[in-house]
Amino acid sequence: MTDATATPDAAPAPHRKKGGSLLELDARTRKRNAAEARFKAYGVIAITIGLLFLVALLFAIIRNGIPAFTQTFLTMEIVLDEETVEAAEGSIVATSQYRNMVAEALQVKLADVGIETDKEPRDLMLMLSPGVGAEVRRVVQESPELIGETVEFRFLTASRVDGYTKGRVQREDLARDRNLDATHLDIVDELMDQGVVERTFNLAFITGSDASESRPEEAGIGVSMLGSLFMMIVVLVCALPVGVAASIYLEEFAPKNRLTDFIEVNISNLAAVPSIVFGILGLAVFIQFAHLPQSAPLVGGLTLALMTLPTIVISTRASLKAVPPSIRDAALGVGASKMQAVFHHVLPLAAPGILTGTIIGLAQALGETAPLLLIGMVGFIASNYPDGLASGFLDPNSAMPAQIYEWAKRADPAYYERAWGGIIILLAFLMTMNIIAIILRRRFERRW
Amino acid sequence: MDDLRLVERDVDTQDIKIAARKVQVFYGDTHAIRDVDVDILDKTVTAFIGPSGCGKSTFLRCLNRMNDTIDVARVEGDIHLDGEDIYDAKVDPVQLRAKVGMVFQKPNPFPKSIYDNVAYGPKIHGLAKNKAELDEIVETALRRAALWDEAKDRLDEPGTGLSGGQQQRLCIARAVATEPEVLLMDEPCSALDPIATAQVEELIDELRQNYAVVIVTHSMQQAARVSQKTAFFHLGYLVEYDETGKIFTNPEDSRTESYISGKIG
Ligand SMILES: Nc1ncnc2c1ncn2[C@@H]1O[C@H](COP(=O)(O)OP(=O)(O)O)[C@@H](O)[C@H]1O
Ligand SMILES: [Mg+2]
Repeated sequence: MTDATATPDAAPAPHRKKGGSLLELDARTRKRNAAEARFKAYGVIAITIGLLFLVALLFAIIRNGIPAFTQTFLTMEIVLDEETVEAAEGSIVATSQYRNMVAEALQVKLADVGIETDKEPRDLMLMLSPGVGAEVRRVVQESPELIGETVEFRFLTASRVDGYTKGRVQREDLARDRNLDATHLDIVDELMDQGVVERTFNLAFITGSDASESRPEEAGIGVSMLGSLFMMIVVLVCALPVGVAASIYLEEFAPKNRLTDFIEVNISNLAAVPSIVFGILGLAVFIQFAHLPQSAPLVGGLTLALMTLPTIVISTRASLKAVPPSIRDAALGVGASKMQAVFHHVLPLAAPGILTGTIIGLAQALGETAPLLLIGMVGFIASNYPDGLASGFLDPNSAMPAQIYEWAKRADPAYYERAWGGIIILLAFLMTMNIIAIILRRRFERRW
Repeated sequence: MDDLRLVERDVDTQDIKIAARKVQVFYGDTHAIRDVDVDILDKTVTAFIGPSGCGKSTFLRCLNRMNDTIDVARVEGDIHLDGEDIYDAKVDPVQLRAKVGMVFQKPNPFPKSIYDNVAYGPKIHGLAKNKAELDEIVETALRRAALWDEAKDRLDEPGTGLSGGQQQRLCIARAVATEPEVLLMDEPCSALDPIATAQVEELIDELRQNYAVVIVTHSMQQAARVSQKTAFFHLGYLVEYDETGKIFTNPEDSRTESYISGKIG
């Protein structure tokens, strides 16, 4: 081939194409390609930044939250001497008597493992959780046959000791501490070496209830998890039927006029209303007007149902719209009524979409905190498991995100750690729900 | 092959099944059908032809009140089925549609099994007392739609898994299963290949034994092959309505002639 493109003045070769050689990029193409490359680069940069943030977030959550799942325990034997137990039970301050028992046993234990200390038993007790007396009492009352025996206990250590084994509390920090001092930590170090003090997985964090400000080592998220569960049941039972019925009516039956347009616009707007507005609405309507009990999962659930409703309506209508009109025509064409067409044919096809939307709405509600603040589902509320359905719905309880918020507010860094741990559990729930939604969508997608 | 080869033209009866007078259809402000008068005969295939957008589908959908489902559509005039006004306030369109079945342009089987597709109509209309009767209805319908041999071993498979032509015959089976008196077909072959088209056309000719069939088609050849009567629509007007042979050989209106000879498209 000649270099016809390079010498434009030369007589055109007979086979020369109008637009120049295909093997060379012209200026426009080069420019276009450069723009395309730039655009791709921006996209990659944006995604990288997003991923970096995600990684940082996950790293922070895991680093801060994982320690909450372990706890430091001290294993020791106590002789449940019959006389002492009786004396304690006869006293009006029974748990404090039991504490003394533990204190003496602890001194014996230290001597047994060969640790010398001139500390008073009461002073030694600072290493253990304030709740140990109550725990011994609980064991004695639950199984009286143990009285007279030597029983092995696995006591929670005080949160400072726990913090020390986790590296959260440093020796220098103790200078400012009222009671625990460096010599306590020496003992802990030795006990760790002996295997008397161990840090292990703590199921009680997942299943337990909240504890008072001074005993972070006892606090768990279990009861508020139940609170969340009861709320989700209320949300599901209230929001799903109402939402689906409203969407079916709007999408399939309602005439298209000003009124339905207005309703449509408002439903979309409702989805964007800040959740705290729903909270104050719940407070005004359910508590002040209807006099439902404060802080109850029933009220929380109703409030969250209001909030979830627009999400369900929007996703249900979208999935109804996605069902091809030819299916409706087919049903009507063989003489099905409108309702038969909807319930026999349209709804089953829309069901996966509706379900996905519902799960995502529920997941949103599960993570919602602001409305709960207003109806009082936060604060130190739950220390008991609900005993039955009625109390589950009506007794004051907390919810996972509210519990996390509450912990994060408390002064003790041990609670801060638990807040992160709670977030891991909450995220696990949300992720599970989203994965279920994805699986449903994948499995049932487009079978027509 | 002579495209305009005509089927036997003997119209078996002169019984009027559907009589339409001064029918007007409006979509909002659009006047889609103007002053249409037509008598559709029983046991006859009537073809509606005309350029696209002239209102064939619209008029067809008046006959079983499918236009009711379109919010903006408004129908005026009289349409009588066996002497009864189908737009009378007392008429429930659901009952009407059981008598006047419809096959759509695009095959639209339900995403259910072949059996359930055919059985759905009879079920909701209570045509079968028990499973055995229902089985029989399904078999008869599939045989009428010339699908039985292909489908009898796979009744439990989804209807959407059939080929296009089979799907359309399934839709025909579904329509005849409810034992309608009139069968409306809106371009039933437009999504089919020539072989499937030939099968469906053969089927339409057989269905004439039992039903009044109204078929919309954009293919004049098809109208010539399957119909005994032909109506030519243009811009919302019914221009000419006569024996198919007459329309294709000796039309009275110049517009019909231009269309037949390919001058209006
Ligand atoms: N759902 C509808 N809404 C508004 N106008 C419509 C609708 N369906 C059809 N039309 C109008 O009515 C006229 C006739 O349409 P149609 O009956 O579908 O024609 P054909 O079937 O002969 O091609 C067209 O002008 C079309 O734009
Ligand atoms: Mg049409």
